[in-house]
Amino acid sequence: MKGRYPIRRTLEYLQKGDIIFKSKVKIMTVNYNTHGELSEGARKFVFFNIPQIQYKNPWVQIMMFKNMTPSPFLKFYLDDGEQVLVDVEGKDYKRISQHVKKILGKSEEVLQAEVQAKMQASNPANFGPKKYCLRECICEVEGQVPCPSTTPLPKEMTGKYRAKMAESQE
Amino acid sequence: MFQVIGGRSVQAVRLLAPRSAVLVEAVRGRKSRNDPVAKSKEGRIKVPPPVDPVEMVVLKERYSEYELIMRALRLEFKEEVLRKKYEKETGSEAEQRVRQEKEEHRALMDWNDQENLQMLKARILRIQKEEEEAQSKTVEAAIQREEELQEFIRQKEKEILQLQEEAKNFITLENLDQRIEEALDNPKNYNFAIDKEGSVVKRTVLQ
Repeated sequence: MKGRYPIRRTLEYLQKGDIIFKSKVKIMTVNYNTHGELSEGARKFVFFNIPQIQYKNPWVQIMMFKNMTPSPFLKFYLDDGEQVLVDVEGKDYKRISQHVKKILGKSEEVLQAEVQAKMQASNPANFGPKKYCLRECICEVEGQVPCPSTTPLPKEMTGKYRAKMAESQE
Repeated sequence: MFQVIGGRSVQAVRLLAPRSAVLVEAVRGRKSRNDPVAKSKEGRIKVPPPVDPVEMVVLKERYSEYELIMRALRLEFKEEVLRKKYEKETGSEAEQRVRQEKEEHRALMDWNDQENLQMLKARILRIQKEEEEAQSKTVEAAIQREEELQEFIRQKEKEILQLQEEAKNFITLENLDQRIEEALDNPKNYNFAIDKEGSVVKRTVLQ
């Protein structure tokens, strides 16, 4: 694979990202320096965690600014105009991501609830239009009676034969 | 004419108001617009199936009732969905949830501010330490330079003294004659060999 740490570009790595922002967060800005010991954590955060965050939050705008300020920081711009400043000077990149997850990420129970709601809404046992459900008719399932439009049903299963039999018996 | 595709079939049926009217309509199946009618179907007049009035009345009743019920059910379900959505957005629980979320958010922001303060303190300490170190370094550098200067002066003084010492053995105008006499009286022999330790081994005889 091409580039340094190309694992960052694999789907598996991206899907492992665990920071999902609350719907309030619209913009995320990272100010850091390309040289210096204090910016090391921020640089690693940008290098390793930003792809995961962007993958999980495609509608959040993320911007990186280099060598503009002496110390590195993160700034989040929320829906109601509030700005959240996070100082990351000298911190480790893992600690930074934990911090961010704690203050602005969706918590575990919220995520679970969302997953539950989605599962309830899209029950695999439902039959209906392809857009909303997995199957439209039982004839599509393996091992069930095939659709009479492709193969005619055996005589005993058709309605008119049964009606005839019922009539002839009475 | 009829093509069954997975349960969806296309039928062109036009029901005119007088039910016993004649239908002069064909479905575009295999033949295109300009193809003539088949020989066996030349004089054919399609007649819809005869309608039994009694049956029609009964069926109309039943169908109207059935459609009424179905429409009512559908509207009920639509209303339920809308109500649920409304409840989710602006219900009593929703307000509570919003309030709780606000509180949690404020708590988290406070915690974040605390962290920032701690970082600020740490940074101030660090900057102070760096300043002190820088100052001490400059002081040390000054001392170092002073010392070097002193050393230099001392070296120069030593050289001066040494030179003074040697000056005693210089040949001046007054000593000139005396030294010439001395040199002529004491011939020096520079032809000698030394071994590895540096001690003289052999001397030639002066002539």
